[in-house]
Amino acid sequence: MIYEVFARKSRGEPLRHIGNLNAPDQELARVYAYNTYDEERWFDMWVTPREHFVEVFNAERGNGDSRS
Amino acid sequence: MTRAATTTVQLDEAARTAVHDLILVLADTKRLLGMRYAEWILGAPELEAGIACASMAQDEWGHARLLAALLKDFDVDVDHIEHGREADEYCNMVTLDEAPGDWAGLIAINVLCDGALTVQLEALRASSHVPLRQRVGKLLDEESFHAAHGAAWWRRFASASDASRAALHDAVQSRAADVLAWFGPDGPSARALLDASIADGAGSTLRERFVGRIAPLLAAAGLGDVFTNIEPAFDTFDEARRRPVGRAPDQATIQRVRGDRNRAFLMD
Repeated sequence: MIYEVFARKSRGEPLRHIGNLNAPDQELARVYAYNTYDEERWFDMWVTPREHFVEVFNAERGNGDSRS
Repeated sequence: MTRAATTTVQLDEAARTAVHDLILVLADTKRLLGMRYAEWILGAPELEAGIACASMAQDEWGHARLLAALLKDFDVDVDHIEHGREADEYCNMVTLDEAPGDWAGLIAINVLCDGALTVQLEALRASSHVPLRQRVGKLLDEESFHAAHGAAWWRRFASASDASRAALHDAVQSRAADVLAWFGPDGPSARALLDASIADGAGSTLRERFVGRIAPLLAAAGLGDVFTNIEPAFDTFDEARRRPVGRAPDQATIQRVRGDRNRAFLMD
C-alpha cells in the first residue's frame, strides 16, 4: 500500500508533503517514514494511506465526485 | 531516593572496573549489531526495509562511538579499542558473532538483541554515573524506532504463513538461551553496579524485564514459553565480557568492524 508522508519544521507551520513510501501496514509505514525522511529535523511527521485521499476537484478533469 | 552524582574519577575500584566493562560490552554489541543491520541494506525484502537497516546501522555505529569515547575517562586508548583489538578481545553479545542467514534471523536479532540492549540501557536511565546517564536518553529515543521495526516485521512473520512462522520460531529458539544469558549472573560485577546505584537491576532482574517486555510478541508468534523454559547457565560465562569463554566473532567480521581496509585513511 502507498502511504503519503507529511511533515513540518516548526509548530504552527502548515504540513508539507515530503514524499511517499510502500508499506504493508500502518506500523511499518511509521517506521519507514521515520527512517526514510530523517535527514532533516522535523517538528512532527505524519503518514496516511494514499487511498484515504478524497479528491474534491481537479482543474483539468473537473468535479472529482465519483457518484456523478 | 536521591543519589550523589558521580563522575568516573569518583568511582571506587570495583565500580570503576564494572562500569568500564559494561561500556565496552554495550559499545561492542552495538558495533556488531550495526554491522548485522548494514549487511541487509541491499537485499532486504522491501526497498524501505533496506533503508530502515541503513538507518539502524548508522544509529548503532553512532552509539558505539559515543560509548567508546566514554572510555577515555578510564585511561583507555579509544583508538586501540576501535581499531586494534583481536577477535577474542571483543565483548559483543555472542548471538551477533555470526551473520544471520536469512531475514527471519535479522528480525530475531532486531527484536532480541536490540531489545536486550534497550532493557540494559533503561536500567541506566537514573544512573548515578553522570556520563552514562547523560547519554542514555538519546540512545533509548533512537532505539524506540528499532523496536517498532522489529515488532512490525515479527507480526508479519507470525501471521503471513506456516512457513514464515516456522522460520521465525527457528530464528528465535536458536538465539534465546544466548540472549537471556547476556544479562549475566548476579555476580560481583552486577553487585558493584547496584551498590553504586549505577544500574537499577542485576542480571536476573533485567532478564525478567526483558521477557516481560517481549511477552506480547512471543504470544503473537505462539512462542510464549520459549524463554520461560530456559535456565541460563553461567559455568563457562565471563561476567566482565558478558559472553561464554572460548567463542569469538570470525576474522572477516572483525576485519570489517575494525575497518582494516580503511586504515590508511584514519586521521587523528
